[in-house]
Amino acid sequence: MAYKPQFCAGTTKVAENRRNFMNPAYKLQKIRDISDEDVVLIMGHRAPGSAYPTTHPPLSEAGEPKCPVRKLVTPLDGAKTGDRVRYIQFTDSYWFAPMHPYLRSYMASIRYRGVDPGTLSGRQIVECRERDLEKIAKELISTECFDPARSGIRGCTVHGHSLRLDEDGMMFDMLARRILDKDKTVKYVKDQVGVPLDKPVNVGKPMDEKWLKAHTTIYNSNGGTGFREDKEAIEFIQTIHSLRTKYGFMPKE
Amino acid sequence: MTEAIFPQIRIMPARFLYPETAEKLLNGICKVGVVRRMTVNGPRLPPTITEGPGRGLPNPHPGRKVIHVGGEEFELQVQVGTLILELENSDAIPVIRQVCDEVFTNFSYTLQEGKFMKSQMTVSDYAKYGEIEDKEMLGMSDPKGKQCPIILQGTQ
Repeated sequence: MAYKPQFCAGTTKVAENRRNFMNPAYKLQKIRDISDEDVVLIMGHRAPGSAYPTTHPPLSEAGEPKCPVRKLVTPLDGAKTGDRVRYIQFTDSYWFAPMHPYLRSYMASIRYRGVDPGTLSGRQIVECRERDLEKIAKELISTECFDPARSGIRGCTVHGHSLRLDEDGMMFDMLARRILDKDKTVKYVKDQVGVPLDKPVNVGKPMDEKWLKAHTTIYNSNGGTGFREDKEAIEFIQTIHSLRTKYGFMPKE
Repeated sequence: MTEAIFPQIRIMPARFLYPETAEKLLNGICKVGVVRRMTVNGPRLPPTITEGPGRGLPNPHPGRKVIHVGGEEFELQVQVGTLILELENSDAIPVIRQVCDEVFTNFSYTLQEGKFMKSQMTVSDYAKYGEIEDKEMLGMSDPKGKQCPIILQGTQ
């Protein structure tokens, strides 16, 4: 019988959403349009339209050694041209954000090639070759993985994941990188490290509370689905906990 | 040591307050006129970027704003999240609850009675600040901080 990955346990909507994001066969729903230039502006690694700085010559000119692994693995476009490795970092609010930091890392590892994802408490970073990163970032921002109010693109000073929301439902941001404008759209006025942008970048309207609660991947008993409500997830976690406690890393039962 | 004979309350709104709402709430509480001591807590809004490649650059933030409370003017340095008050007597608590009801119309809040202010120094306090002379200021603000506590004259 062919192996069919299950991704994560649970019978609730939260668990189903988690499985969807991790499943590469699931097509992410596009919610908003964002231009390539806007993605470059928010990340702040280079000026829009400028050439990609490189760290090594193109592979075609580098004279690579004969290596069977190099023949097997097709390099990414960015690796072929010798692009720098750059990053995008997200913070997701505990209050029903569509994604959460660990899930972002699982998703990036499963869905994308040549990325180095990492989760650090309330934030998640994806590192990749610059031109490939821009494509990935565009997908992450324009689809259901992102909500303009409850998710934030923050390269530093990421505080906000576990805090209360602002009065207007935006996640707290110490550097006020984005604002909820009068037309009810969220605009980035600073790049991800807090440097002011020449022009604001519109990332669209925040999703409403009903949509967020239906699409969240965070268990939250305070208004959403509590973890204790998901019997299957609890049973799975308890089984893993029990096996690891009893047998360390080599469970045999 | 401060005698904990005065009632203390903690107001915690469900959302972080913008300066306009905080100003409205503080003025409402100020009018009640029985507050002995008060601390406003919340995450800090630094005037400059503290980390990353933009370190040292100005950090304009809509939450860092000058507000007027009880005739005094001061700049908020935090996004207001929690207020801790020490009152003259507990008769004023229902009045303060009414003020909160009027201000927090779009979201909920909790108002708790208990002991929320420090009444004696900890070992860490001794290590960091030495002996704090004014016991009324214990735990209210950073004794080595540049900003002094604000004294509201009130109505009494």
